[in-house]
Amino acid sequence: MVNDNTNATKVQELHAPPKPIVVYGTIFVLLFLPLVLSTPLATEILIWAIFGMGFNLLLGYTGVLSFGHAAYFGLGAYSSGLAFRYLDASLPVGIAAGVLAPMLLACFIGALAIRKRGVYFAMISLAFAQMLYFMALSPLKHITRGEDGLTHIPTMAIFSFSLGKPLPLYYFVLVVTAIMLFATWRILQSPFGKLLQAFRENEERAKACGYNTTMVKFWSLVISAFYAGLAGSLNTVYLGYVPLTTLFWLTSGTMVMMTILGGKGTFLGPLVGVGVFLFLQNTISLITPRWELFVGAMFVAIILLFPGGIMGTLEEKLMAYRMKRASK
Amino acid sequence: MLLRTEKICKYFGGLKAVDEVDFVLKKGQLKSIIGPNGAGKTTLFNLIAGAYLPTKGKVFLKDKDISRLTLNRVSRLGVVKTYQINHIFPNLSVFENIRIAAQVRKTSYNFWRQAASYRELNELAEEIMTQVDLQEKRNWPASTLSHGERRYLEIGIALATKPEILLLDEPTAGMSCAETNQCAEMIKKLNTELGLSVVLVEHDMSVVMSISEEILVMNEGRTLTEGTPREVSDNEEVQRVYLG
Repeated sequence: MVNDNTNATKVQELHAPPKPIVVYGTIFVLLFLPLVLSTPLATEILIWAIFGMGFNLLLGYTGVLSFGHAAYFGLGAYSSGLAFRYLDASLPVGIAAGVLAPMLLACFIGALAIRKRGVYFAMISLAFAQMLYFMALSPLKHITRGEDGLTHIPTMAIFSFSLGKPLPLYYFVLVVTAIMLFATWRILQSPFGKLLQAFRENEERAKACGYNTTMVKFWSLVISAFYAGLAGSLNTVYLGYVPLTTLFWLTSGTMVMMTILGGKGTFLGPLVGVGVFLFLQNTISLITPRWELFVGAMFVAIILLFPGGIMGTLEEKLMAYRMKRASK
Repeated sequence: MLLRTEKICKYFGGLKAVDEVDFVLKKGQLKSIIGPNGAGKTTLFNLIAGAYLPTKGKVFLKDKDISRLTLNRVSRLGVVKTYQINHIFPNLSVFENIRIAAQVRKTSYNFWRQAASYRELNELAEEIMTQVDLQEKRNWPASTLSHGERRYLEIGIALATKPEILLLDEPTAGMSCAETNQCAEMIKKLNTELGLSVVLVEHDMSVVMSISEEILVMNEGRTLTEGTPREVSDNEEVQRVYLG
């Protein structure tokens, strides 16, 4: 009996939250990312990774597909940008604006549509995102500057420490990324995080256990909007302007692709997916302007090789190996 | 009287799946619902659990009207159902399957404290794993369990929510003969030792006859007869319905 238990402990749940060493190890590795990649690319990867972590919480862990996550990312980017440009907001205030506005939007969209299942919810979120896109494009042109994007955003500083240079900016974003990685890890092991996973596994049963599954989905969406808004806000600080494309449906689509590429429902999946995607995009676009064609082909190839996404398939293989050993 | 339905009806279009059924469950009772295929057993069961809204009639839990409550609200009041086809959390471990169900009475929306740090929940989950005999599979993903073990886990999940009334929908479906006997024994034990009131929908007559205190026989959505196993098996009408 005792022996059985020790054997059994080697078997892990599929897509279980990782050990602490994985979280700290990842942060440690990210410290040296600018040595391998160009600093702006590394910064971009971190920003999108934050976006991805939140998106993964919703798609990978709760099992809800939002096809309009650009709404939260873009609204975060614009809210910060507008606060920086027109109100001379400090960095923390601007970021707070960039986080709060998308969360409120998520409350609104969630209250309206979270009961809808699968593709209906995906379409409703897409519709809202496109609505925001066209609002920014034309009716609100006098403040958002429409197609040109919101420019003339001052360089930010934290504790009178300028973030104008690439390297300080990278490490600032890294600190935020580290906090969010840690937070994600905590959330996944909390009662709420466990509930998200149970929910994805079997919504009906979670309901029969007494859980109000609509509320679970709702809060998952709001938390996810927090991440997206934070990422959008950092993107504004990083670029020094807000491109209109942050609200475009292609941004949502790219996010879905990155998450699936990395492995939805895995802890490091978004980071890996974002890293691979942006690296390919940056490298190939140096050679040819038709980079989408090649990235697309590689996406197909990777998904054929790793049906569960890169990290997803690796985890499955690892688990199969462990179970084989444990049952020996 | 713990639970009772009052002339409860469920129509699906023109089909009267359940028609004016009065079902009464006393505290601590183990009561079965039987009947031929399509008699409305599972529908009645789902009406009690809150999975369906009744077309007419009412369900009372200790004189509280629960007819219009949804599945999750009824579950919180202590009336918890299991499923005919396994509804488990396949990619989570056996322990986690049970622990998640156990946390429903304690916490759901805490997103910072570690779930593993709730000692009483861990203990409850361990206790239930012993009750349903799954200790050895503690850390295995539920998807790797055998059919019989999944049926046990199904019951374990329901037990973890600390129900007052356990609604079991064909718990021995697909089990071998030996497994069926073992499972029947376990159900009886839950009833006698834990004092759980149990409603059992079951196809296997030997199980029903051996462990039920009372049986409700349904046919074509209506109550055919009601009584002890002895009375029911002696009833001519029941014999006619079952043997044709």
